[in-house]
Formats: sequence, structure tokens, C-alpha cells
Amino acid sequence: MPEPFLNEDQRDALQEVANLAMGQAATRLARLLDSFIELSVPRVKLVAVSEAADALREMTGIDDTVSAVRQGFRSDIKGEALVICRSDGVQQLCSLVNDPYARSSYESVSQKELMFDVANLLTGACVSSILDQLGRTPVFSAPGLLGDAMTLDEVFQPGVLQWEVALLVEVNFALEDQSFRAHLVMLMAEESIRHMNGALDELLSSL
Amino acid sequence: MTVSVNSLSDLVVERVGFGIFVIDRDMNVLMWNRFMQDHSGLPADQVVGKSLYTHFPELPRVWLSRKIESVFQLGTFAFSSWEQRPYLFRFDHDRPITGGVDFMQQDCTFMPLMRDREVVAVCVTISDVTHVSIVQREREEAVAKLQEYADRDGLTGIANRRYFEARLRDEFTRWQRYGGDMSVLLFDLDHFKKINDQFGHGVGDTVLRLMAQRVSAVLRAQDSFGRFGGEEFALLLPCTPLADAMVVADKIRNVIAETPVEVQGTTVQVTASVGGAAARLGTPSYEVLINEADAALYSAKRQGRNRTVALN
Repeated sequence: MPEPFLNEDQRDALQEVANLAMGQAATRLARLLDSFIELSVPRVKLVAVSEAADALREMTGIDDTVSAVRQGFRSDIKGEALVICRSDGVQQLCSLVNDPYARSSYESVSQKELMFDVANLLTGACVSSILDQLGRTPVFSAPGLLGDAMTLDEVFQPGVLQWEVALLVEVNFALEDQSFRAHLVMLMAEESIRHMNGALDELLSSL
Repeated sequence: MTVSVNSLSDLVVERVGFGIFVIDRDMNVLMWNRFMQDHSGLPADQVVGKSLYTHFPELPRVWLSRKIESVFQLGTFAFSSWEQRPYLFRFDHDRPITGGVDFMQQDCTFMPLMRDREVVAVCVTISDVTHVSIVQREREEAVAKLQEYADRDGLTGIANRRYFEARLRDEFTRWQRYGGDMSVLLFDLDHFKKINDQFGHGVGDTVLRLMAQRVSAVLRAQDSFGRFGGEEFALLLPCTPLADAMVVADKIRNVIAETPVEVQGTTVQVTASVGGAAARLGTPSYEVLINEADAALYSAKRQGRNRTVALN
């Protein structure tokens, strides 16, 4: 089978789909969280497994260790989504949602639970918005901690991975007037890229 | 006989081994499967049509309502793991005798039910992960035990040299930063080789074990006590000036020498020599502190043993 790739039309279409989807995700998140979350213009890139860590470093601008929460999503287009921030930024990431029991000693929510909740909201909103544009309704798996002080190289462990090329969609978030940024990275491997090609072609032909 | 696919789904939902229920945006229950009935004791006809909180007022309302609302608004999944929140419902589990956990440990999934791209209801699934939590707890206990064995001296049960030095290093770092007092004592059983030669290694080992016990009994909780090797022991006394440390040194010497050891029908007289040193301005490292205590110990030996010497 030929090396998976996106032709120029497909790439433009995916970029447009991602732009639209992020607008939609931002609106939904703002309504839910009652504060405006600024979403960057998404970046789309095909990367080989050996370049994945470098691509992520370049996109996020992070050299230090990171905390990463991963989550699987599944339709015929399937993959994993990572929410990544600097290890020392977890508290700021959690501040994207308020602790519902901030003033209660009766009920409490641990920082880890908040972190999973935030990651799940960001992933859910963005990934389902993109796939929705492509006519897919994904199923998600529960969020899990990949690591709380890991290097970007440790995120991908070449040699044990089942893929060689992945489609990477990155978008980053900031709360209004905050310099803190968290990143959402959607990664899809070969088989899903082919399904993505088909979905994009269908979209293009329907225009 | 033909069975319609729809009715098959109903049968599966009814009998499947995890909890399935559906709620609307106002938290009213729309569906309640058999698992939920069996574990709550409440059949569907009592629960359906009423608010979930009617029968389960103990549920964390703010948290749960927010989960459900996020599913309605984003049209996407939400989750809850037993590792952060052990259970949602107070259900029993199938290990009431051997489990050692109070309620069924639960992983929950909140799933949007969509019609024409609108979320019409939320389906909640409850998985019983009690066995996973028990296995994990056992593993954590095993790791903690291994960790402890790694820190202990096999013969005497007190800290081994590696662990003692780690404690000493931490305390020395604290002292360098915050100042104050800290002292170290080194002691050594006198003529221990003779005890081994005369009575055998079994007796020698018993003597080491008993002496470690006696000394442990007179120490304060904040002191660290370790076997440094052979018949040599070390003590770390945080927040203790040298003069006070030497009072402890005398206590140790006395508790060792005052009563001879009765072992295997023979009486063995044991004495110890103790050297002490304290960190002071300019002490560059904890190794130097140990060396100074060792020099004091050497001096106590040279002066005739069964005595304590402080390095000045």
C-alpha cells in the first residue's frame, strides 16, 4: 500500500474543517465553563514516528518536562488525543474549571481528578467537533495519565510503536489574559489517515 | 422462532454484568437495568420517572450534575475512575469477606445518547472494578514491604548503612540550610572478634541483635539508628548539641555494659566505646562529620575502651 499522505486539496479541507471545529469547540466550552477559552488556529502535520517528538517540541515550544493525559477516540477514524502542559502548569490547567467544592470540606475533588476532567473536556470538545464535521460520532475511552514529569521523547517510544506515519493536529488553549498554554494533540495512524482521505474527498465532492 | 434485534438488545441490557441507566437533563431516570436493581435493591418501576436524587440523596450532587451537564453541552463522553473517586453508588460487592474494601469500586462512563445531532439523554454505565482495586492495593503493599526490607539490616532489623547515610545526608542538607544543631555518634562493641572466636558466630550474632535492641529502647523517636557494618553502629541526633549527644552516648555505653548477655548457657560481658561529633560552622560534608566521630571513637578505644569521647 502506498505511503499515506494528504494531497493539497485534502490538506486545505482538513485545515478548514479543523478551523470550523475549533470555533465550535470554543463556543461550547465557553458556554460550559462560563469563561472564554482562546483556541489557537489548529496546525496539521504528517510526521514520521522518528520526528514525532521533535514536531511536538517545535509546535508546543516546550523543552522541559510535561504532564500528559491521554485518551483514545474511535470511529473508522481513530487515534489518541494528548493534553500536554508543562509539569509546573498543572495547577493552571486545572483552573480552567472551578473546583465545584472549593469552599466545602464535606466533598472534595483531587487535583488529579480535576486534571482528568479538564483534559476530557478539551479532548471531547475538540475531537468530537472535528469528527462531527466529517460525519463521524466517536466513542471515547477514559482519560489516563501518561506521565506527570516526562520529556516529549518519552511520549513516543520508537520501536514499540505500531505506526510509522501519523497525522498530527495540534491546537492550544489559553484562558483570557493568561500566558499559560495547554496543548491538545490529536494523533491518527496510517489506517485512519486513509479513512480521513476518504472522508475529506467526500466532503470536497459535496461542495 | 425469530427474535427481533430490538428485543435482543433489551435482553442484553437487562442481563449484562454492569450497571446501565439513563437520565434526562433534569436528572430524571429513564431506564434502569437489572444490575442497578440487584445492587440497589430498587426495581426499575420504583426508580424510573423520578429524580435520581429521590432514592439516592447521598450522591455528590454538584459533581454529578456538572458531569451530566458537560455531556449535554459538549455532546461528548465524561468519565469517573475508582482511583480518584472510589464509588458513585454505595453498592456491595462480591468480596464482602476477603475484600477489605467498604463498597464496590466503580468506573463510570457518561455517554451521550444522540438523536439528530442533539443529546437527548445521558447513559451512565457502572463497572465493578473491586477486584482491580484489591490487586492494586496488594501490589502497593508488596512494594512498600520490599522498600522497607531494602532499608533494613537483615540481622538486627535496624536501618542499614545505605538508608542511614541517606537520612544523614538529608539531615545534613537541612542543617546547612537552616543551621541549628546536629550530632553523630559512632559506637563499636569492644573486642567483638574475641566473642566470635570464643563462643562462635551464633553467639556473636545474638549479641549484635540484643545490643541493637537495647540501644533502640533508649533512643528518642527523632533519632536514626543504623548498623554501619560488622560490630559498628551509628546514630544521627537531629537538633542535638554535642553535650546532649554525649549524655546519650553514656546512656548507650551503660545500657550495653550494665547487664551481661545470657546466651546458650554462657554469660558474655559486652562493653562498647562511643565517639561523638557535631556539625559546626565550616563542616563541609556529612562524610567529614562521620570521619570526626570515627576519630573520637578511635580515641576512646586507645584510651582503654568502655568509654565515650567527644571530638573537640
